[in-house]
Amino acid sequence: MAIQNLLLEAKNISKTFDNVVRALDAVTIEVRKNEILSIVGENGAGKSTLMKILVGVYQPDSGELYYGGRRIPFPKNPIEALRRGITIVYQERGVIPHLKVYQFLFLGLEEKFTRLGRLQLEKIIGITKSVFDELGVRCDLGSYMYELPLSIQKMVEIARAILSIRLAIGGESSDITPIIILDEPTAPLSIEERDELFQYILSLKKNNSFIFVSHIIPEVMRSSDRIYVLRDGKLVAHHDLSIEKISEDQLFREIVGRVSYYELYAGHEYGIAEAKGKPIILSVRNLTKKGYYQDITFDVREGECIGLFGPAGCGKSEVAKTLYGELLADGGKIIVDNREVSIKGEPHSRLSRGIGYFSGETGKELFLYWPIKKNVSIVNFEKVVRRPLKIVSVISFKAEKILAEKIVKKLRIKAPSVEAECYSLSGGSKQKVSVGKWLERSPKILILEDPTIGIDVGAREDIYEVLLEMKKNGISLVLVSDDPKEYAILCDKVVLMRDGKLQKVYTNEDFRKVMEL
Amino acid sequence: MKEAVLSRERFQRNLNTIIPITGLILLMIGLRMANPYFLASWDSVITLVYGMSFFLIAACGLTFVILMGSFDFSVPSVLKLSAMIFAVLYPSIGFLSIPVALAVSLVFGSVNGLLLARFNIPSFMATLATSMVAEGAAQVISGGYTRMITDPAFRSLSTTMIAGLPSIFYWAIAIWLISIFLTFATPFGRAIYAVGGNLVGARLAGINVKMVRILVFMLCSLFAGISGILYASQIQAGHMQVGVLDMIPLFASVVVGGTALTGGVGGVHRTLLGVLIIRWLDSGLSMIAIDLNVRMIVFGAIAIVMAILTIDRRRIKIMK
Repeated sequence: MAIQNLLLEAKNISKTFDNVVRALDAVTIEVRKNEILSIVGENGAGKSTLMKILVGVYQPDSGELYYGGRRIPFPKNPIEALRRGITIVYQERGVIPHLKVYQFLFLGLEEKFTRLGRLQLEKIIGITKSVFDELGVRCDLGSYMYELPLSIQKMVEIARAILSIRLAIGGESSDITPIIILDEPTAPLSIEERDELFQYILSLKKNNSFIFVSHIIPEVMRSSDRIYVLRDGKLVAHHDLSIEKISEDQLFREIVGRVSYYELYAGHEYGIAEAKGKPIILSVRNLTKKGYYQDITFDVREGECIGLFGPAGCGKSEVAKTLYGELLADGGKIIVDNREVSIKGEPHSRLSRGIGYFSGETGKELFLYWPIKKNVSIVNFEKVVRRPLKIVSVISFKAEKILAEKIVKKLRIKAPSVEAECYSLSGGSKQKVSVGKWLERSPKILILEDPTIGIDVGAREDIYEVLLEMKKNGISLVLVSDDPKEYAILCDKVVLMRDGKLQKVYTNEDFRKVMEL
Repeated sequence: MKEAVLSRERFQRNLNTIIPITGLILLMIGLRMANPYFLASWDSVITLVYGMSFFLIAACGLTFVILMGSFDFSVPSVLKLSAMIFAVLYPSIGFLSIPVALAVSLVFGSVNGLLLARFNIPSFMATLATSMVAEGAAQVISGGYTRMITDPAFRSLSTTMIAGLPSIFYWAIAIWLISIFLTFATPFGRAIYAVGGNLVGARLAGINVKMVRILVFMLCSLFAGISGILYASQIQAGHMQVGVLDMIPLFASVVVGGTALTGGVGGVHRTLLGVLIIRWLDSGLSMIAIDLNVRMIVFGAIAIVMAILTIDRRRIKIMK
């Protein structure tokens, strides 16, 4: 590579937290002008630590930083990084929903556009217009952020990052190429929205460099110029896609350092239940919620898994939320075991009828400051409660411990003991505790919402194993996810939804054919 | 990384236990040094027990509410109202006035609970309002003056001596033990911690959050009511001295014990420590002749400091 192309170089960066764990071990990366660079790795591989060092959130223990060939000190805080032309767009919580687009764009930058304490609104709107024109963001400046589609919100965030760099550097110095770090930018987006966002990022490449942090392999393969692979804090591979070609599976193996779940569940190993003759456990009839979904009707048999599939906003997650009682339907029927369930119910009344819920969002349903055993027994009181005087229920601590130990052993949860508090566990283990408690409870139906989001490939396999075992034990599953492969692995039938309506029902085989899996 | 972080976190979490115990010991030494009569005779022990017992019962109830992540301003007012109902009705219906007082307390509790669970009014707001109602009702019932009861039977409820200690002490300890049992060994107690620790998680785990909230507020008011009855019996009167001003010491004793205002952390067992500290401090300060107004400053400051120390800032980054 010609030297004038080199923008930023971080050499031999090491970082240790509290003198114990090496988060980064002599990692060297370079960022070139006008490229999309991807950094991939499992959770805990060190991606975020590296990015946080680049934007000045963390200080490295050792290492050197070069900008345009000159050595510079590491930024001490994000503002210093901004002045050097580096900033980050975080995965979530970046957007303030109740600000108007131009207010959000200039949030924190108002100082520069104030005269005598008054905000120069006309100027701000003017700049917003010209920046959006230049960067190709198409949206109504006066609308609120929450009204925009998620992909446009992300674009506005990226535009804001670029604008902040420009203002921090000052003047019209176009000789500086901003480096924008995008941390899992596509996480909440649907497939179409993802494409839209990538088109947008590609269009900005001519003036900017992007560092794209992700673990969604196809995306990385499609959009990047170069890829760095991190594993356990070390740089394990570097691919320049302009001069070499690699396969998705090869990249997977580099990321995880072992067999990928593609191979584990390839071909005939897809778990299809023989549910044909089994009784129908859950019937959904004409379920309707205005503005979200209409006339949803389907049946789930014992031990069967139905997937609700479709782009984000198609109503699939709303249907799932309605099933476990988080959202209220306007009309229709939910029938469990031939008995109708009130559609106005709350989660607890649904659970008493046998509908449980599991989501992959760690920390959502887990009590992080509780030991594993309490997290397990919270839905399993029936198994751990004794009634010595018939009227009072007393938790037997011994039964509680035995129950939790059984689950920890079965799911191979890495924990010193069942007394370990959940916040100290890894992301994958947390998820396993979350799903493990349902294994013991055995509800009739378990609603799964993104059951493996944000966890690494290894933990994913274990979760799939548990879910497939539940199916074997006769638990019916309803899956909502963003990953087509997840449907292929778990579902017997896949229901395609679009614009809140059922479109088509695929068998597992047809679905895989359509999705080319 | 993990080891060091964990041991540090463990220390920070144990801070909730370390601070009250050291505080209590230091306080004991300090009070003894300032006043040689402090705990010098059995009589002074009994005085302290009288000062603490009704307080402990009310504080146990408040602890439930705080554990759940809510707050109940109405505890002292319900206490006062219950004492007043008991004292006012006693001459005409005798001990039948106890169920009446408790029933009224339960009504206040369920209203507090419903306002939060059904109408989503923050408990700070809701209970501040109901405390006004209870306070006013107490004034109306009593006509605004102290109702003295000289009947020895009325007194005996709290002041019968058993093994050298007044019966109110045993009432308080019994209620404290029941509270500990409830929080640690029953699904209901687990649900209280769950609601306080992770509301969404509690819902998703199938806990009837509304029901738990209503029950906990009812329990809190019930304890306030019991406390009021025993207090009236102890002082042989329903009078207006107890009230809103007692809220801060009450709240302080819960947080000083180590129950975090954010909910989900702490426990009723700790509240005993908090009550000991606050009541000793109170009697100690009055013994060395510091007047009520200065004591209010002290309790306010302690409440603030302990709230800062015990609150779980990792969980609540922004407090509205």
